[in-house]
Amino acid sequence: MSSTIVELDLQRPAERAEWQQLLTRLGIHNFSHREVDQIDFTLGLYEDGELVGTGSAAGNILKYIGVCNQASEPGVRFNQIASALIDRLFQQRIFHMLVFTKAQYSASFQHVGFKELAHSDQAALLENGTPDITDFIQQIPRTTQQAEQRVAAIVMNANPFTNGHRYLVEQAAHANDVVYVLVVQTDASLFTTVERVQLVKAGTADLNNVIVISGGDYAVSYATFPAYFLDSPASAIEAQTTLDARIFKNHLAPALNITTRYLGSEPTSRTTAIYNDVLQRELAPTIAVKIIERKQVAAKPISARDVRQLIKTGNLTTLDQLVPLPTAQLIKQRLPQLQARIQKGMKINGN
Amino acid sequence: MEIKTTAIAGTLESSDIQIMLMAGQDGIQIDLESDVIKQFGNQIKQVITTTLQQLNIDNVKVRAVDKGALDCVIKARTIAAAQRALAQTTPAWEVL
Repeated sequence: MSSTIVELDLQRPAERAEWQQLLTRLGIHNFSHREVDQIDFTLGLYEDGELVGTGSAAGNILKYIGVCNQASEPGVRFNQIASALIDRLFQQRIFHMLVFTKAQYSASFQHVGFKELAHSDQAALLENGTPDITDFIQQIPRTTQQAEQRVAAIVMNANPFTNGHRYLVEQAAHANDVVYVLVVQTDASLFTTVERVQLVKAGTADLNNVIVISGGDYAVSYATFPAYFLDSPASAIEAQTTLDARIFKNHLAPALNITTRYLGSEPTSRTTAIYNDVLQRELAPTIAVKIIERKQVAAKPISARDVRQLIKTGNLTTLDQLVPLPTAQLIKQRLPQLQARIQKGMKINGN
Repeated sequence: MEIKTTAIAGTLESSDIQIMLMAGQDGIQIDLESDVIKQFGNQIKQVITTTLQQLNIDNVKVRAVDKGALDCVIKARTIAAAQRALAQTTPAWEVL
C-alpha cells in the first residue's frame, strides 16, 4: 500500500469533486463560497490512488479536515494529515494555528498536540504553536494593584470609533478603576486594524484609566467568531459566540481580574444582538454584563454603519456629530482611499 | 545559544515524535503529549533535555507530541528542530 500527501487544486473540477465527495461522505455539507473562498491551500492524502483524507488552511485556521478510517487503523490518516498541515504552515512561517471543530473531534486534535481553548456541547476551539493564549495574556499591560481594583472590559471593532463607542467607554471608565478596550484584530473591515486601533487610542486618550489593546485571536476574531465577518445562519452565530464568551470567561477575565463586561444595546445588527444574548447567558454570574443604552443623536442611535454610509455618499455634513475629532479628521483626510475601498467591494453593511 | 525562530521537526505518525521549539526565558521547559507518558514520560524528557544541553541551548520552550518514538528518533528529531531553530545548516557532528 502506498500513501502520499499532495496539494489539491480546488479550482480543477475533478479534484474539487473528489474532495467534496469525500467530505460529504464524512458529514461536512457546507461548501458555500464564503467558506471555500477563504482557503489558502488544501492537502489530500491518497492511498492506492484513492483520496482518503484531506485538510485545508485559511490563514492560520485549519478547515475542512476529514479522513475516512475505512480499512485503516483509527487515527493513522488523521495524524498524517494533521502532521502535513502543521509542517506546511511552519514552512510559511505561520507558527500559531487554530481549529474550530465539532466537540467530538476535540480529543483527536488534543492527541496531536493542540490545546483546547473552549468547548460547548456542539463545538470546540483549539490552538497549537506559539504565541499561544498564555503568551497573549502575559503581554497585556496591567496596573500594579489590579487584583484589588474594579476592572471592566469592552470588545469593539470600532469601524470606525464613534461618539457611541466613546460614550460606552466613558460609562465604564467612570464606574471602574481600569477599563480594557479590546479592539478586534481581524483585518476585514472598511477601516484597517491599524486605523481602528489608532482611532480608539486617540478617542480615549484623555481617559487615563482606559487601556487599549488588541483582541488577538481570542476576542471576536476570524477564529473565534467568523460569523461576525461573514453573513451566517443563527445557529452558527450561536455556536461561535458561545465559544468566544467562554474564552473570555475562562481565560481573559480571570487573568486580568475583569469582573464586568460592557456592551452597547443592539437594536439593528442581528449578529451582534445574538452575541449580546449569548454573552449574558454565558458570563453571568461570574462576570456582570452591563448593557448601556446607545447614545443618540437627533433621536437615532449612533451607528458606525451610518458613518460608513456617509463615507460612501461623501456627504460629511453630519459627521462631526457622530464621531470624535480624531475619527472625523482621519475620515476627511482619507476620504478618497476609504471610498476606493468601498468601490473595490469592501462590504459596509455588516459589522 | 539563542533560539532564532520557532521550528519544528518530526511527524505525528506512529513511531515518530514531533518536536516544536520556541524561544523561552526560563530554562528548558518541556510540554509532552504521549500515550506512554506514564511509562516513558521521564525518559523522553530526559533525551530531549540532554540533546538540547549538548547543543548549548539553555532557554527554550519545547512542545513534544510523541507517537511511540525510540530514543534515537527522539534525539534525531530534537537535533533537527534545534538546528532549524538556530538557523544552522551544518550538522553538529559532536552531538550526533
